[in-house]
Amino acid sequence: MSHDDFHGRLEDDRMVTGSGTYSLDWDFPQAAHAWFLRADRAHAQIVSIDASAALAHPGVIAVLTGEDLQAAGFKSLPVLTIPTRPDAMKPLLPFRPCLATGKVRMAGEAVVCVIAETQQIAMDATELVSVEYKELPPVVDALDALKPGAPQVHADVPGNLYWDYDDGDQAGTDALFAKAATIVKHDLYNHRVIGNPMEPRCCISEYDAAKEQYFLYSPTQGPRIQAAMVAKVLGVPTDKVDVVAKDTGGGFGIRSAVYPEYCVTLLASKKLGRPVCWNGSRSESFLTDNQARDFICHGELALDDKGKFLSMRFYMVANNGAYLAPTGLLSQTRSVTSCITGVYDVPVAHARIKLVATNTAQVAAYRGAGRPIMSTMLECLVERAAIDLDMDPVEIRRNNLIRKDQFPYAMTNGTTYDCGDFEAVLDDALAAADWKGFEQRRAESAKRGKLRGRALSTYIESTAAGGIPDEAQLRFEADGTLSLFASSHSHGQGHETSFAQVVSRVLGLPMKTIKLRTGEAGMRVGGGGTGGSRSMVSFGSSFFLGAQEVVKKGKELAAKELEAAPADITFDHGEFSIAGTDRRISLQNLIQKHQGTHPHPLDSSSANKYGMTYPNGAHIAEVEIDPETGVTDIISYIAVDDIGNVITHALVEGQMQGGLTQGAGQIFGEHAIYDRESGQLLTGSFMDYPMPRAVLVEGLQIIDHPVPTALNPLGAKGVGEAGCTGALPTLSNAILDALRPVGVKHFDMPATPQRVWQAIQEAKAGRPSAMLSYTLEYA
Amino acid sequence: MYAFKYAKAKSVADAATSIAADPDAKLLAGGQSLIAAMKLRLSQPSALVDLGNIADLRYTRIEGDTLVVGAMSTHAFVAACADVRKAIPALAALAGDIGDRQVRNMGTIGGSIATNDPAADYPAGCVGLGATIITTKRKIAADDFFGSMYETALEPGEIITAVSFPIPKRAAYIKFKNQASRFALVGVFVAETPAGVRVAVTGAGPGVFRVAEMEKALSAKFAPESVANIKVPADNLNADLHAQADYRAHLVTVMAKRAVAKASE
Ligand SMILES: Cc1cc2nc3c(=O)[nH]c(=O)nc-3n(C[C@H](O)[C@H](O)[C@H](O)COP(=O)(O)OP(=O)(O)OC[C@H]3O[C@@H](n4cnc5c(N)ncnc54)[C@H](O)[C@@H]3O)c2cc1C
Repeated sequence: MSHDDFHGRLEDDRMVTGSGTYSLDWDFPQAAHAWFLRADRAHAQIVSIDASAALAHPGVIAVLTGEDLQAAGFKSLPVLTIPTRPDAMKPLLPFRPCLATGKVRMAGEAVVCVIAETQQIAMDATELVSVEYKELPPVVDALDALKPGAPQVHADVPGNLYWDYDDGDQAGTDALFAKAATIVKHDLYNHRVIGNPMEPRCCISEYDAAKEQYFLYSPTQGPRIQAAMVAKVLGVPTDKVDVVAKDTGGGFGIRSAVYPEYCVTLLASKKLGRPVCWNGSRSESFLTDNQARDFICHGELALDDKGKFLSMRFYMVANNGAYLAPTGLLSQTRSVTSCITGVYDVPVAHARIKLVATNTAQVAAYRGAGRPIMSTMLECLVERAAIDLDMDPVEIRRNNLIRKDQFPYAMTNGTTYDCGDFEAVLDDALAAADWKGFEQRRAESAKRGKLRGRALSTYIESTAAGGIPDEAQLRFEADGTLSLFASSHSHGQGHETSFAQVVSRVLGLPMKTIKLRTGEAGMRVGGGGTGGSRSMVSFGSSFFLGAQEVVKKGKELAAKELEAAPADITFDHGEFSIAGTDRRISLQNLIQKHQGTHPHPLDSSSANKYGMTYPNGAHIAEVEIDPETGVTDIISYIAVDDIGNVITHALVEGQMQGGLTQGAGQIFGEHAIYDRESGQLLTGSFMDYPMPRAVLVEGLQIIDHPVPTALNPLGAKGVGEAGCTGALPTLSNAILDALRPVGVKHFDMPATPQRVWQAIQEAKAGRPSAMLSYTLEYA
Repeated sequence: MYAFKYAKAKSVADAATSIAADPDAKLLAGGQSLIAAMKLRLSQPSALVDLGNIADLRYTRIEGDTLVVGAMSTHAFVAACADVRKAIPALAALAGDIGDRQVRNMGTIGGSIATNDPAADYPAGCVGLGATIITTKRKIAADDFFGSMYETALEPGEIITAVSFPIPKRAAYIKFKNQASRFALVGVFVAETPAGVRVAVTGAGPGVFRVAEMEKALSAKFAPESVANIKVPADNLNADLHAQADYRAHLVTVMAKRAVAKASE
């Protein structure tokens, strides 16, 4: 496909001139304002709530507590994606109320909602609500929570174990380990982070009594999937809920979910007969947005005496927080294990993941959603093998790659990779990185007193998962434009441009006349939202097929106009013609002829399920550490990625950049830290939570190596998360490579200056593994 | 934020009268510390007396061998000011590296030193240069002005009008930024002033402090190696999520060394 039709994103004018419409930009002058009283402690029994002073405060309209929600028949916040396991135990799904009842389980949990004429009044009145608590000891660390006698977060989750998840072939794996010449083991901690979209969580909720319809104006990644979650809580059919959104200021997975405040304010609107606005603060987003990662990981690799991988096994403990998030357990389980042995020819492997309850915020999908957990574990384990066995880090990888002729490649955990060319991708990366010239660069850095490190890592991930057909509708409007409808909502990716591009390339219509519409009231299109790097693969494909449907219908119309048989009509560059003649009519012309008729005879739609795709890549990073301060800089970062056919390189590059930056953000500092004694979040503001900055990834080079998949008509694979999945292992390994010469053996991220400096001091003092946070035994 | 009254002062005298009349009122300069605290409901002044309209608090001028900076001079203004860049380039650089563009365009020197955030930059500049803080009531030596975190010698109702900096022979400030806030995790200001060498450290301790041993060594020989082996004790330094005390102590030496090297360029 050609790329010369990209002239910047259609949405950018609106975005860069500040004329986007975010959730609170919708105009509801008559709205009342909600504010939430949140638990000021991590774990406590609620003895009593006294809101009388708040209710008496001038301007206060109503106060809602958990009891009011119970009375209204509120259900638990749902848990959407739960992978099915044939034999293992099922996850325990404790009730998660929208306002705490009986007990608070995390600091920041919403307890009371105050609704007033203004936000200011609501905030003032919230301070007048008094809650009497009976303090309970909190537990914030996953291993602490698993210990006998640990505080119990939920009465119905014994031992704080939500789920003992198991994937792969344990017996087969053990048999291969028994035959191994060497077993290499590695531990690491993939620490907790917080997503931080630019737009904090917020909403305007409106109940239309005449239509008995709920309207939620909130940031979203998928209006219909979010409506379904809201409906579950309210106990109404999905059709009774509309999630309305135009622009969403970032999401990263955490804006897919329903949140308590959305449902509470919808109920409030119904009770009060007027819209209710909740202008959530950044602090509240920090405390109560879905958080991410927090996996304690242990991996083992069995090798034969020639360095060939025989099998792998993993044991991980995932801190899932006080509740299970509505987006579900996929990111904590199957997304971790689906590419269980990466790009390596190792069909038999096993993984066990314990999902643990603690008094911290719920953990769920966030860019990469589980895949960076496995990619990091796997590639740090392989790197460890190269070091321990004194093997070349490239050759140990190359010798174990799945070869091009092995596809489709099936593993015993049920995953089948459809295609790839892992060795060619690897070679591209080595060439771009001047792999052989490294020792010279390292020596040059050493002259300046710097420690240079370099690492290669591979990754592969499962993307575009989806359970329901993803629908695309194309509608020709009376004003001559073409509307595209889908439930995949952009939160920064550029859907307006990329879907228009897919359709424009098929129909030959100008991009500017094609308008994507995803979050409108009353819109009913099927399918999931934006997440799991699925939008281009699935919705893009549906638009592609939908556009072809337009062509098919167009041929019939053209045949009538040109008085020929439809079979004789060809379509090219926006024109229908009778093959071999100069008799033609343009699509534009056909559109105009029927302009204003509803439905327009060319209106089309397509809804399909597409298979999972497996983007993969080889990344090489070089970093430089100032041993005096512990400051680490990325000197260069080469990312060679096979994301299938590239529809628009600029948008792909944007996604890769974003993903890599987010990975680098976690590696170099983003860290949600809870106080072990009090259970309080210590990094609840940008004063304490460092976000990645653009300079972090200055030396970035992104190279496409497409191997098209046959699983969807575009030949595309997911790209949204690949950068993050690749960056975590690559940077982890590069940093350790820089530190190894000064004696450091283990280094758990994040590589903050303090931690890097400390690692060097500890190594000097004879403690090379001091920066290892946890160790586990495979069992 | 809680509700509050707001008034724009026409002059320093006007501000002094308003602030004296209400013990719960606060002066408002650039609002970069105060408004943020108010938004988080950590500060609840009854009224704000805005100094923003008092034009004669925004200036820099050379007076003999001192540089005088008006209290309402923004960080951006100080950073860009030709007088400052010529007389004390280290001070211009310090101001130019505070926070981000928005903060520099609003935040002021008076507001910064009145706040005395333990990680702020100006306190190091003031103490490092041996500045004098000029208020509506008196002149206070920087050494006596800054207390422990968020404490200053200011009395209720006292307004900073200017800061007077002796022009040093050479000076430099090196700041090691907190990754998140970009305030100083450790910042060291080194100056060779008419009254001798001064080394002032911010970010590391509960307030800005001088390092006598370094000053002595640098008086003997103003060179990086003079301080390279001088370690400040970690005992009284800050320890938090971002840096432990031993790391901060180590950074004091490294930043001092780098500041001396920069001052010697
Ligand atoms: C995002 C961000 C990043 C920042 N980064 C840095 C940084 O890197 N380094 C750094 O040093 N600072 C930093 N700051 C703080 C910034 O420098 C502020 O400008 C400064 O702390 C306060 O100055 P202000 O003029 O805004 O004062 P205000 O916020 O208006 O006032 C602060 C206090 O000083 C009092 N006050 C103000 N003027 C006077 C006066 N003339 N006399 C007596 N009392 C007065 C006020 O009553 C108030 O109590 C940052 C701030 C933000 C928001």
